[in-house]
Amino acid sequence: MAISILGAGWITSKGYGTVKLCEEHLFAPDETLYTVAKNGIFNRPVKNFGRLDRLSRITLAAVSLALRDAGIDSSPEAKKDIGIVGTNDQGSLETDTAYFRDFVDNGRKLARANLFIYTLPSSPMGEAAIHFGLSGPLLYMAGAGRSLANVMVTAAEMIAGAESALMLAGMTCGDEGIYAVIGESKHGGICSLDTVLKSAAGDADLEKIVTTIRSLKRGQSE
Amino acid sequence: MLTPFGAGADLCFESILAKQCAVANVKRFNTAEFTSRIAATIRDLRYHGETSLVMQMFERLFASSCPGIPADAALLLATTKGEIDLLEKSLLGKGGDPGESRLDRLLARVTALTGAKGPAAVMSAACTSSSAAVGRAAAMISAGKSECVLVVACDCVTEFIYSGFSSLMALDTAPARPFDATRKGLSLGEAVAFSLLMSEERAEREGRNILCEISGWGMGDDANHMTGPSRASEGLISAIQRALSSASVSPAEIDFISAHGTGTNYNDEMEMRAFRALFSDTTPPVYSVKGAIGHTMGAAGLIETIIAMKSLQAATVPPTVNLQCPDDDAKGWVSSEPVPLKRAKRALVANSGFSGVNTALILNLPTVKA
Repeated sequence: MAISILGAGWITSKGYGTVKLCEEHLFAPDETLYTVAKNGIFNRPVKNFGRLDRLSRITLAAVSLALRDAGIDSSPEAKKDIGIVGTNDQGSLETDTAYFRDFVDNGRKLARANLFIYTLPSSPMGEAAIHFGLSGPLLYMAGAGRSLANVMVTAAEMIAGAESALMLAGMTCGDEGIYAVIGESKHGGICSLDTVLKSAAGDADLEKIVTTIRSLKRGQSE
Repeated sequence: MLTPFGAGADLCFESILAKQCAVANVKRFNTAEFTSRIAATIRDLRYHGETSLVMQMFERLFASSCPGIPADAALLLATTKGEIDLLEKSLLGKGGDPGESRLDRLLARVTALTGAKGPAAVMSAACTSSSAAVGRAAAMISAGKSECVLVVACDCVTEFIYSGFSSLMALDTAPARPFDATRKGLSLGEAVAFSLLMSEERAEREGRNILCEISGWGMGDDANHMTGPSRASEGLISAIQRALSSASVSPAEIDFISAHGTGTNYNDEMEMRAFRALFSDTTPPVYSVKGAIGHTMGAAGLIETIIAMKSLQAATVPPTVNLQCPDDDAKGWVSSEPVPLKRAKRALVANSGFSGVNTALILNLPTVKA
């Protein structure tokens, strides 16, 4: 089965963009992900966006951009047979530390449920599933080193195995994130996943994958 | 596997059949400020010692059992919080680096312990982590990507985890009573387990004793709420339908169901709604092991898969320990006594977790070849 990338969205500390739609927005000096969330990245408000942990905010933004790039309705009311598999560079270390430090600071008596629920490494994908109505498989993966290519391959295997019609596969790293919508090539798409993975062989990290997809897209347009 | 009953699947299965409950007062940390005082823990582990709880459990597990792990086996490590006690220890000023609690570090340690040298990855999907990993392992073998995959699962009871579940008001003050009308929450538990999955050809070539086949798997998300299950059960229904479809079997061919059965009102209600939607024609027996060993979180799926395998082999459905008065929607499905089976060929293992994740696995007794 031929698998393609149908759309992709990325966000960094400098800006955000899409690949198929060729959007690219650089943050102005007074702009951040939080300030532009309402008018550029999401097509409807994200409940409690400011209270989410950093990785969940980046994941939501990248997923929103990827769905838009693939031309997929992102409303939660329209539940979609789309799964999500993601990775990051540190697991839930940041939210684990925030939760337990807060608990210790409160004399080990008061624990905050709203911090605890983000201590699962799969929580950012869970937030995305809820906000965008993704009803397919949901999985966090990690391995030795950066493993964006690994999650893309796993997502492709899930499609090939009829575990989901479409999959979102992506990675967050520091203040950066990318998610791609992956599906059978019959749905169209920017480029084949095989081509991306071969072109970005080796330590296929976030920047390399984004660069590769964009250059393949440019080559297709020329 | 290593559970609060001790080492080995037989011991755990026999203890559940005998309706024993391993849930007891927690001595590992102070529970005075929490909504409960009990959990199912493994004896003689050193909390905040030189090594983490799960590594002590793994060392005990692999010392007690020699699984003959092939060097080329791929490794899937399933967990929710792994060595979170290392982070606690560091933040409480007892030494160490909180970064050592990262799951990729645990993966490296488990890889070294097992000797599996194939591709390795952490799989985490809340309390469905290890059933998701079993499904991925089966998919990898089915697709010809691997011949042999070692699935390893773990989670432990620590102050971090206990305080979190307490803050969610999810803990019962008494041992969990899954599917009981008076249930009031879950009991936490801890366990480690492994399972070696192989292609049929490879297993036969190596003369392995095939205990069970994973013939179907599926995942589905409620896309509804971070901690509360869907009131329509659509995620679990979808996961089960996918698993049945991938196994090419109908609901009528399922002989019993190993439920997630946490003992919380919402989870058990959601599950029974899904089972009623799909299996009302045949009403296969349903049970939960969590009254006996607690909710072992990321390890639950693999532990319950192994217990379901033992149930298939024994042609006996285990009792739901602590069940006294089944809730209305579970009457006629669950039992406080072991139930002998007329037909024990195929089982469904269902699990659910935070973020609305759901998994379903179909297990078969191996086909006897003429």
